[in-house]
Amino acid sequence: MQALHIPATKETPEVRLDPVNMSFHLSGESYPENAMAFYAPVRASLQSFLESPAVGSGVQAHFNLRYFNSASTKLIRALVGMLQQKAAEGIRIVAHWHHDPDDDMMAEFGADLKDEFDAIEFNLVASETV
Amino acid sequence: MNLSNFNEFCNRAASQGVLFYYTGEFSSNVIGTLSDTVRERLEALGTPNKHGRKVFSTFMEMAQNILHYADDSATAGRRIGALAVGHEDGKFYVLCGNPVRIDHVERLRAKLEPLRSMTLDEIKAAYREQLRNEAHAEDTLSKGAGLGFLTMAREASEPIDYQIIHHAGDSTYAEFYLRAVI
Repeated sequence: MQALHIPATKETPEVRLDPVNMSFHLSGESYPENAMAFYAPVRASLQSFLESPAVGSGVQAHFNLRYFNSASTKLIRALVGMLQQKAAEGIRIVAHWHHDPDDDMMAEFGADLKDEFDAIEFNLVASETV
Repeated sequence: MNLSNFNEFCNRAASQGVLFYYTGEFSSNVIGTLSDTVRERLEALGTPNKHGRKVFSTFMEMAQNILHYADDSATAGRRIGALAVGHEDGKFYVLCGNPVRIDHVERLRAKLEPLRSMTLDEIKAAYREQLRNEAHAEDTLSKGAGLGFLTMAREASEPIDYQIIHHAGDSTYAEFYLRAVI
């Protein structure tokens, strides 16, 4: 498993997969015209990351999103769903969902993910630095 | 338009609190530029993050709807629409208008009409249901997640309003207008 780094653009988030620390980062904004085209390769990379032998030591996932459009919503949820599947197999997955304290939509979205994907250790983090 | 008409146009926009208005072709580049402008205008007004984010989100859903769904059969593939953001009576509004195919009108009504009588809790429940709806791929018209109008309805502080204006004769498209108050 190679490290992956997709730098942020105006319309797409930064993506990092670090096989040394076994961490996954998704940060920034997500409103590409074609959300599927952006997330399909991210999904594929996350899948091979989660299949690497080092996954046994656990995964830290950091979501630090400022804004995403409706077309990105299901695709971001699907990434968390992939983490859930691994967590359900007994792998320790810790997710940190950062959101602006004033952003009730982002906070509620995180709270819903925490409820739904309950095999993940899910931390909701209200932080000003988003 | 002569100058006195233009003056009237500008005054009228100012009296209705228009912060921003664009009409013309919508492309990815245009939306990128518009989004910067909307954010700058909101920031210049000292808009609290909480409201600014809702206005921006609604603006983006509407702009991308025009890009994806405006009927382009009469405009040689160019997606033409209008979009305005304004501030009036202490609230923000986002408006858009674009041509839609006649045979898509009923589908729009069926999506929008129920939202108008739903409470915020019902809208949130419908949003969650749609988020988990894997069968959405069967809706071949939708290019997103089927969450666009629900997202707007969630951000809005009043029921979202729409209007469909039919042309006389046998036109193949109608004008579709949408308004969200935040």
